[in-house]
Amino acid sequence: MQKTILIGGEAGLGTAVTSHFVGKIFTSLGYYVFNYRDYPSLIRGGHNFNILKISDKPVYSHEYKYDFILALDQKTVDIHKKDLKQSGLVFKAKETEPKILANNILIGLLFKYFGVDLNILFAAAEKTFGKNADLVKKSIQEGYQLDSEKEKLKKLKPKCFISGTEAIGIGAIAAGMDIYLAYPMTPASPVLHFLAKRQLENNILVFQPENEIAVINAALGASFAGAKAMVGTSGGGFALMTEGLSLAAMTELPLVIYLGQRPAPATGLATHTGQGDLKFALNAGHGEFLRVVLSPGDAQEAVIRTQEAFYLSNKYRIPVILLSDKHLAESNYTFDEIAKSSLPIDRFIVENPQEDYRPYALTPNGISPRAVPGQGNFVVRANSYEHNEYGYTIEDSAGAVKMQDKRFKKLPYLKKEIDKLNPISVYGKGSNLLISHGSTKGAILDALPQIKNFRFMQISYLKPFPAEKVAKEIKKSMPTGRQAKKVVLVENSVTGSLADVIKEETGITIKNKILKYDGRPFTPDDIINQL
Amino acid sequence: MTPQDFTTKEINTWCPGCPNFGILNSIKEALAELVNEGKISVKDTSLVAGIGCHGKIFDYVNLNGFNGLHGRVLPVCLGIKLGNPDLTVVGFGGDGDTFDEGVSHFVHACRYNADMTMMVHTNQVFALTTGQATALTEKGFVDGSTPLGQGEKPINSLLMALDLGATFVARGYALQGPHLKELMKKAITHKGFAFLDILQPCIVYHKHSVPYLTKNVYKLEETHDAGNFSQALERVREWDYSYEKDTKVPIGVFYQTERATFESQWPQLKQPWHTIDRKTNWDNIIREFK
Ligand SMILES: Cc1ncc(C[n+]2csc(CCOP(=O)(O)OP(=O)(O)O)c2C)c(N)n1
Ligand code: SF4
Repeated sequence: MQKTILIGGEAGLGTAVTSHFVGKIFTSLGYYVFNYRDYPSLIRGGHNFNILKISDKPVYSHEYKYDFILALDQKTVDIHKKDLKQSGLVFKAKETEPKILANNILIGLLFKYFGVDLNILFAAAEKTFGKNADLVKKSIQEGYQLDSEKEKLKKLKPKCFISGTEAIGIGAIAAGMDIYLAYPMTPASPVLHFLAKRQLENNILVFQPENEIAVINAALGASFAGAKAMVGTSGGGFALMTEGLSLAAMTELPLVIYLGQRPAPATGLATHTGQGDLKFALNAGHGEFLRVVLSPGDAQEAVIRTQEAFYLSNKYRIPVILLSDKHLAESNYTFDEIAKSSLPIDRFIVENPQEDYRPYALTPNGISPRAVPGQGNFVVRANSYEHNEYGYTIEDSAGAVKMQDKRFKKLPYLKKEIDKLNPISVYGKGSNLLISHGSTKGAILDALPQIKNFRFMQISYLKPFPAEKVAKEIKKSMPTGRQAKKVVLVENSVTGSLADVIKEETGITIKNKILKYDGRPFTPDDIINQL
Repeated sequence: MTPQDFTTKEINTWCPGCPNFGILNSIKEALAELVNEGKISVKDTSLVAGIGCHGKIFDYVNLNGFNGLHGRVLPVCLGIKLGNPDLTVVGFGGDGDTFDEGVSHFVHACRYNADMTMMVHTNQVFALTTGQATALTEKGFVDGSTPLGQGEKPINSLLMALDLGATFVARGYALQGPHLKELMKKAITHKGFAFLDILQPCIVYHKHSVPYLTKNVYKLEETHDAGNFSQALERVREWDYSYEKDTKVPIGVFYQTERATFESQWPQLKQPWHTIDRKTNWDNIIREFK
């Protein structure tokens, strides 16, 4: 079974809520759903749509060929009818119906088509809409009576339905985060909202300071005081944070930075997707310092990688950037179960530091035991100037070298640790290779069975870069003798910057690139057609 | 506890005779007295400093501390309070630091009213970068970056603080140590955001303020009612940070009031986060996605 449903309407009509509700019913019936969301940067009017791909097998991407169009307005029909399959159906809300209820009438119609029991719909409505469920139920029932059953949907084992945003949120909670600070910026703001709403039940604190500069400096103040802190933003806000990123590195205060990318320079395409900030994430900040850059490919991975981000940041006292984009953040994925990482929740704060505590003590692995103010009768100092072991400012050449070396001493230990965290994943079999990172994973995984002789390497750790593993995998697909093999990069960007990173880290040149930079994510067809 | 207990072994690199030494002495005395009076505890107190001559105070006070970025003292102070509400936090900024680079944070710090103190070393120049004009420099001031003379009127930082809702607004003079020490103690023990402007003439780049201030500074009389907002407004307007003519320059507590602190809006902000032993209830967390 595989069906694709487009739900569209102008902003304010509830396209996103309706799509999520429909998706949730299908996942509760045991089907895999991928829910893609497309909307312009406006609050009322315009045209929003979601595409739900539903299948009895795992699905990680959308397509632009529909079995159903649920049109909340005429514009939806006008725009999307050309992509309706031959046997496809359009369910359109009547103009006379109160707009809010029209969605539910269409939901009733749709599920009647699939012969889904009305009680299942009612239960879902109660779960989602709580006190307001009665009206919703009434209009679902109204829609339900309008048509007859055409196909009988088998009930399978219920699944979990989760977005990248939610995954990052629960990953942070599972990692023991105490404080989340962010200034609103799409596509990172949904994490702010998700965590803010759940702050009391999870005993965390969520606050929106006056700007991104305040966000990162306050987060470092909190980290200094002993809290596990995370900040969230998109490219523009991250640009404002870069001085603070460098401060995090210099003070060796743990900090996780969630960077949700959107395309193009400056304000760019505010509500769309892109991967153009890879090199920015890798290189942002003045001075030379260690960082981790992680790029999860789907919601399940986002949970695990977020936990890893906290673990590594706190253990190594370095900034960790969790790279995402609008496509990962705002799409819903379906999994049989949602797993968490088995890494411990550890604050990496020493229990009983000695009187002569040195916040920047020189140690064989470069990691100084971390204490926090108030713990005991010793002084804890964080300094943005170059400093000695006690945190006092220094300028002497020998001291400067010692400290620069100390901070970089962590690198081999960090690399070893990352080696154990699956920094790359290889899917499928074939002598040719597709390479990518981040949210392109979904479309590639769905394309893979349809393209001959290709495997797919997903790189999840972009810094420190798993150069050996990557090189080994690429070399298997390098043309040898008469055998022409292909290595192809897939990236949602203009330049395909991962190729440059691979070149810098491994010396290998990747010539073939499939790129897309219209602000829209790849579909499997985009990849298949270009190959 | 004595002021000497707060002394560090670091070599002091302020210019000989810089009024910053006065601020350093007063803060060490204030801290020692507050500790002895049981009002603060050393281990639970942290200072935060900006970047400029003023920021060097970080190295000269033996206390928990965070020497951050130029202009970012206030968000770091706020973050420390969010990270551990039990800490007493005292920020030191320059007037360039606070009212040029970081002025947005000052605006919001007055609104937030977190329980912390901000002391600004007002020398009316970017001293450490060789004396350029700040937002508090008087009109007509000539320096390396403004050879034609500073074109704008200075900000009156006290007026700004009052208008934005700071709950403690005071001014001290670095060359009147005992009085300054008392102001520091009041500022630190004030519950809410305390702004203490400290006149700290730079004897290299803003020499003319020493004789001017020595002549014109006076203490607000005992009868000044610090609970009276309009009186406070009137008094902070007496001097506009200019030097054209002799004007009396009041020092003392202009205004003090009570308002719910920033921290009190978070019921979950009760104890230092690092003392919480977190456990994950995974089934609970993922229930909503099933
Ligand atoms: C982002 C940034 N911009 C500029 C500087 C250079 N800088 C260092 S100190 C300073 C001015 C200091 O003036 P002020 O804050 O008034 O302190 P003072 O030296 O007068 O005590 C500047 C501009 C910097 N460190 N960081
Ligand atoms: S330059 Fe001015 S402010 Fe800086 S130490 Fe010298 S006298 Fe003091």
